[in-house]
Amino acid sequence: MTESITVKTVEELKDAPEEYREAVAKLVISHAINELYGAQVFDEPAIAYAPTPYAKWLTCRVAMEEYGHHVRFRQLGVQMGIPEERMVPGTGKKPLSIFEFPLKTWEEFVAIKLLADLAEILQVEDLLHCTFHPLRNLARATMPEERFHAQFGEDFTAELVKTPQGKETLQAAVNEYFPYLPSFFGGSKSRNNEIFRKWNIKQRTNDEMRADFMTRATEVASKYGLTLPEVRQAA
Amino acid sequence: MSDVIGLPAATLARLKAELRAASWFAALGEPLTGGDRTDAAAYAGALGLGGLTIDLAKDWPEAERLLKSSDWSSHLWDREEALRRDLLQRAEAHYPERALWTALTELTTEAGDLVHGKAATAASRMGNAAKASIHVAAGAASQAVYQLAVARLAGDAASPFESKFRLFAAGRWPLGVVGSRVILF
Ligand SMILES: [Fe+2]
Ligand SMILES: [Fe+2]
Repeated sequence: MTESITVKTVEELKDAPEEYREAVAKLVISHAINELYGAQVFDEPAIAYAPTPYAKWLTCRVAMEEYGHHVRFRQLGVQMGIPEERMVPGTGKKPLSIFEFPLKTWEEFVAIKLLADLAEILQVEDLLHCTFHPLRNLARATMPEERFHAQFGEDFTAELVKTPQGKETLQAAVNEYFPYLPSFFGGSKSRNNEIFRKWNIKQRTNDEMRADFMTRATEVASKYGLTLPEVRQAA
Repeated sequence: MSDVIGLPAATLARLKAELRAASWFAALGEPLTGGDRTDAAAYAGALGLGGLTIDLAKDWPEAERLLKSSDWSSHLWDREEALRRDLLQRAEAHYPERALWTALTELTTEAGDLVHGKAATAASRMGNAAKASIHVAAGAASQAVYQLAVARLAGDAASPFESKFRLFAAGRWPLGVVGSRVILF
């Protein structure tokens, strides 16, 4: 069952039901934190691994965009009255497991942009019709940048697979990181997701998103002759 | 931008004014002037790379080729990085870490959006730029803003990042060192 409500501004949010306000706040907090984690753990360290100045500055720009996503979500959160310390890592919320493996090579970064940013795209896509318009608009602003990050992943994947050595290293990175991605979409019986859908804040169930991700990830990997490792679905 | 308590508001305001006033990417490919050469020599010299010739990249394809060249010297990059880390540490000693970090992130986000647009304008005016190159240019320019901000907040008003920024402010893009040449676009 969905409830029809449209919240056009942060001001209007004050009059929305408590369940709605809490749901929106949860989403903003989790996006703010994940964007920051990603930038700190993957994008910024990747600059040093990038092989040429062209790749380094491109990575710089990607890192700044990821930090920028964090900044946008945090600024929206601040307007909504969420304390800043709840929107940065290190206080309370446990990081996703993928963030616990620090980046070691350029190939790992390429694999992450190719596949983890595809997961990001799906998450952002799901907010494009969000009934809380400030969040919907923020998702729309973020979308072209996320698409560019995934394209970055594809472009450097295309470079790497040109040599057997490059392809092998990239495949190893895919094997290492890919298994963490499906759980990025949350549990199958998530109560949060149920509430998000009830209020039309998000559109799809976690399982629908995960299945779509698996299809699209398999497609893009096979386009470059890569395979995805077998993953046990999250409960 | 949110107010960041404990940071020197005047320093940050001046930086923002400078970055808005800069002629980002307006002189790409134009013949080098005496001022360009002076700033480029000062920039490389301050990073310990003296005696190099200053050269020009004339268009986007040439700039792209140089930036992907195997002849590229990582010295400049490594020295900038070492200096940046040192300056960041000094800045961290002056100011609360969270406040410093927030100010730098917000500044580079604002700068990033501005220079990205300027790079796109330059690329469409000149033609023949690969799509990704606009992002590369924006990355280079916002890195320069970030480096300058770190240096100024560390209290160093005479770092190599000053002359690097002056080159960007004059519409140039210092591409780095290739072989024995400092290349300006
Ligand atoms: Fe992002
Ligand atoms: Fe991204």
